[in-house]
Amino acid sequence: MKDKHLKYFFLTMLLMVLFSCKKEGEYHSVTDKIKAEQKPYHGKLTSEDLLTGTDLIKITEGEFTFLIPERKGQIKSYECIECHSKPFEKKKNANLKKAHWNIALKHANSDIMNCATCHNENDMNSLKSLTNQKIDINLSYKLCSQCHSSQFNDWKGGAHGKKVAGWTPPRASKTCVNCHNPHSPSFEKRWPVQFNTQKGIERNDGLGH
Amino acid sequence: MKQLNVLKSLVIDSLDTITKGTKKYHIWMGFLTLVMIIGMYCYSIQLEKGLSVTGMSDRVSWGLYISNFTFLVGVAAAAVMLVMPTYVLKDIDFKQAVLIGEGLAVSALIMCLAFVVADMGGPSVLWHMIPGIGVFNFPNSMLTWDVIVLNGYLFINISIPFYILFQHYQNKEAKKKVYVPGAVLSVFWAVGIHLVTAFLYQGLQARPFWNNALLGPRFLASAFAAGPALIILVLAIIRSFTTFNIPDKTIKKIALIVTVAAQINLIMLVSELFKEFYAPTHHSESAFYLFFGLHGKDALIPWIWTAIPMNVIATIILTFGKFRNNLKVLYFCCVLLFVAIWIEKGFGLIVPGFIPGPYGKIAEYLPTGIEVGVTIGIWALGAFVFTILAKTAIGIELGELRYKNK
Amino acid sequence: MSEKNKWYKLNLGLNRNKKTATTCGCGNSEGNCNSKKEKKLSEQEFYDSAVDASIGDEREKDGFDQVFDVSMDRRSAFKKLTASLLIGAGAISSCTSVIKSDEGKEKAQIDWEEQFKGNYKLMTDEEKEKTVNRLMRSYELRTGKNISMSSKNAEEDVLFGYAFNISKCQGYMNCVSACVEENNQDRKSQKQYIRIHEMKDGEGFNFNTADDNYYHEVPAEGHFYMGTQCFHCDNPPCVEVCPVKATWREDDGIVVVDYDWCVGCRYCMAACPYDGRRFNWTKPEVPEEEINKNQHYLGNRMRKKGVMEKCTFCIQRSRQGQNPACVEACPTGARIFGNLLDPSSTIRWVLENKKVFRLKEDLGTEPKFWYFMD
Repeated sequence: MKDKHLKYFFLTMLLMVLFSCKKEGEYHSVTDKIKAEQKPYHGKLTSEDLLTGTDLIKITEGEFTFLIPERKGQIKSYECIECHSKPFEKKKNANLKKAHWNIALKHANSDIMNCATCHNENDMNSLKSLTNQKIDINLSYKLCSQCHSSQFNDWKGGAHGKKVAGWTPPRASKTCVNCHNPHSPSFEKRWPVQFNTQKGIERNDGLGH
Repeated sequence: MKQLNVLKSLVIDSLDTITKGTKKYHIWMGFLTLVMIIGMYCYSIQLEKGLSVTGMSDRVSWGLYISNFTFLVGVAAAAVMLVMPTYVLKDIDFKQAVLIGEGLAVSALIMCLAFVVADMGGPSVLWHMIPGIGVFNFPNSMLTWDVIVLNGYLFINISIPFYILFQHYQNKEAKKKVYVPGAVLSVFWAVGIHLVTAFLYQGLQARPFWNNALLGPRFLASAFAAGPALIILVLAIIRSFTTFNIPDKTIKKIALIVTVAAQINLIMLVSELFKEFYAPTHHSESAFYLFFGLHGKDALIPWIWTAIPMNVIATIILTFGKFRNNLKVLYFCCVLLFVAIWIEKGFGLIVPGFIPGPYGKIAEYLPTGIEVGVTIGIWALGAFVFTILAKTAIGIELGELRYKNK
Repeated sequence: MSEKNKWYKLNLGLNRNKKTATTCGCGNSEGNCNSKKEKKLSEQEFYDSAVDASIGDEREKDGFDQVFDVSMDRRSAFKKLTASLLIGAGAISSCTSVIKSDEGKEKAQIDWEEQFKGNYKLMTDEEKEKTVNRLMRSYELRTGKNISMSSKNAEEDVLFGYAFNISKCQGYMNCVSACVEENNQDRKSQKQYIRIHEMKDGEGFNFNTADDNYYHEVPAEGHFYMGTQCFHCDNPPCVEVCPVKATWREDDGIVVVDYDWCVGCRYCMAACPYDGRRFNWTKPEVPEEEINKNQHYLGNRMRKKGVMEKCTFCIQRSRQGQNPACVEACPTGARIFGNLLDPSSTIRWVLENKKVFRLKEDLGTEPKFWYFMD
């Protein structure tokens, strides 16, 4: 009698074990899955709809080709030569009223940087490189990349900065000046926009009296 | 059909027995009904306002309800400790106690199911779990395993005793070859239900306090200590209130089971404490919180430091045959053990598993009045169901309830 | 079967039918009565007074009630357990009622169908369309306003990934604010999917001593900031444990919840190692003017109490090609989102060229959310 019971018991156990084996995922890790399934994206989604209305230009830096917002149209007082007809040197007169008096330069100390470091005195519409080559204002990133080369590399790849809109190709990334004011590029200290959950509840409870 | 007539007569007779009795009996049932109604009222508040009326939060998302559920699954599983000797080892001394034990299992299981339903955020959509109409995530989700084994165990524990009582009610002998296979199955099934319930927690890699190999065996050991302890207490009550004869020998043998299980439980506790405190890691934070408090948060310290000494004292006293065979001392130790294991499984296991949270945040848990209300309502429901079952079963076994061919 | 009414006897009413066959006004079916009613009553008056006397004025004169309806206190206690049936019954009765308006009936019809629909993952595209249309119409009926809900499926060859730059995060919490607005989260309980932790420099990634409840000017001296949310694991433990498969990983990698299918057991919350999930302990409330009307069934539509919710990588945005609200809102560009399967995407460049890591890597959950530093 007991043997029969034991037999049934073991049979049931065996069935349960076989039945309950879970189907393992096909890939051991996400990186394996990416390697196996990767494919350049040619799907229906495109960022073109999201980008309508913004003026963009295409650039190629190294192996990267992508769009960036056009800058000249965004600057209210462009073209600079409308006012600044004379070259820079001619203006180095202490008696003349200082230009753009409301722009404070909080970028680097005066040993390294002044207005003439970036602005091209021979062509006030453009900027200049360390070797005095002209840099178009639309491509102002070339100027920043001279000192900030690691950020430039990150930005080219996509680790630094933000997209104009959306994750789908074609890629449109913001340039340096879209987020950083070139005359005062760092982000200021400020209050957070929002309370955390617990703080929010505590405050609500407190104010609810 | 004749069977239906017998069944109808059994139902009427048992309703008769249930509603008649001494004054003490009626006070007991009235008290239980009152508590159940309080519980129902609290539950209706919870249904209306949502689970925010409980003390649970995003950090500690399982509380009093699931603690009681876990504990009661153990109590239900322990009924098997009476079934096995009776039917498998053919120990005649247990025969009287078996039906009581299985009745206890049924009422414990009903309490478990009630606690689970009370804990759900959407009880009206629980039909989503029914295979066929809904989606049943078997075999991946341990909860589905738990649903299967608990309902299966309930079915076994209702049908086997029902068959036996039904036969006795008609003055017939219950056929061995019908109920013995069921009884043997229920022995293995009982181990299964508590192991599966333990696996619910053991399988979560996110909660290191639970994610250890000893949780399942520890559950079994503590269940086999607490469950038979309750059975001893219930048998003592039955002995004094009815003419149902339960020999001292039966109770003493059950006491032996309780003692051995409590000793194994203590050994496992020592093993767990060693692992947590010998070379503490980040994963030992929950144990530190439980036993010593963490960053000034120490709400559980009084609980665990009551439970552990109670557990140890009860086990030590029970180890000595002289004390164990003294029935008064035995009953006292059973109460100690039952309460100690209830605390350990609830506040000593479920709640600290969530504290600290995944990012180290400590949010303490305290049950609200509504939660306590629903809990005692469900315990009253269990006691109510058990009283009904026991009174009927005892009536039939004593020969008072018999089917009269009219 | 005696008529004696002992105070504890349970009167099941099995013997009730005998009483209706009375011929005498006092209610006894046999024996003498002391009724002094001598004057002759008409048939109807006699019948009325007989029924009145036997079962009382408060009872309806319905044969069904007389035989089956019994005054049993315990029954009222069990009424609550049939909540679901009452919803259905109420819906039916209002459907077939003649006094309810057409709109009321339509709403009841929608509620009925919504209560008994199946699991979203198993629906065909048609059924998904239908349920989304029902929900939009239901909202219109209830509030008179329009929302647009999408049931868009995952795009092909897309696997979403996310990267977080710890050096750039300054703790501004623009992301949290944008997320709350975008996803219609409960304002009362301040539900936030994203948590920003302020950690002390020099102590490593020490979550125990990190403060996620700060409110002072940021960035604070000597501290750094990082954020956590649902990491959309590729081997999600939450999906494994759901007993009704109310949560699953979509083909584009987003782990979603079907709010109407969730039973509220909170097992997934216990299983998540990253505190990714939030439960609606109360009915979520959003002020009407702040509701985001562009919704997705699996994303930011209005939830109900007793169901789980979580970050969905703004599924209503990302499946249209947009970035999630948190990525869009971050002023420092600390958050990067994209398609992991596209070798030319920025997220792939980050993973291949920066030193990335994930949280609790040893748990084997394969989250698709990486952290890196400049």
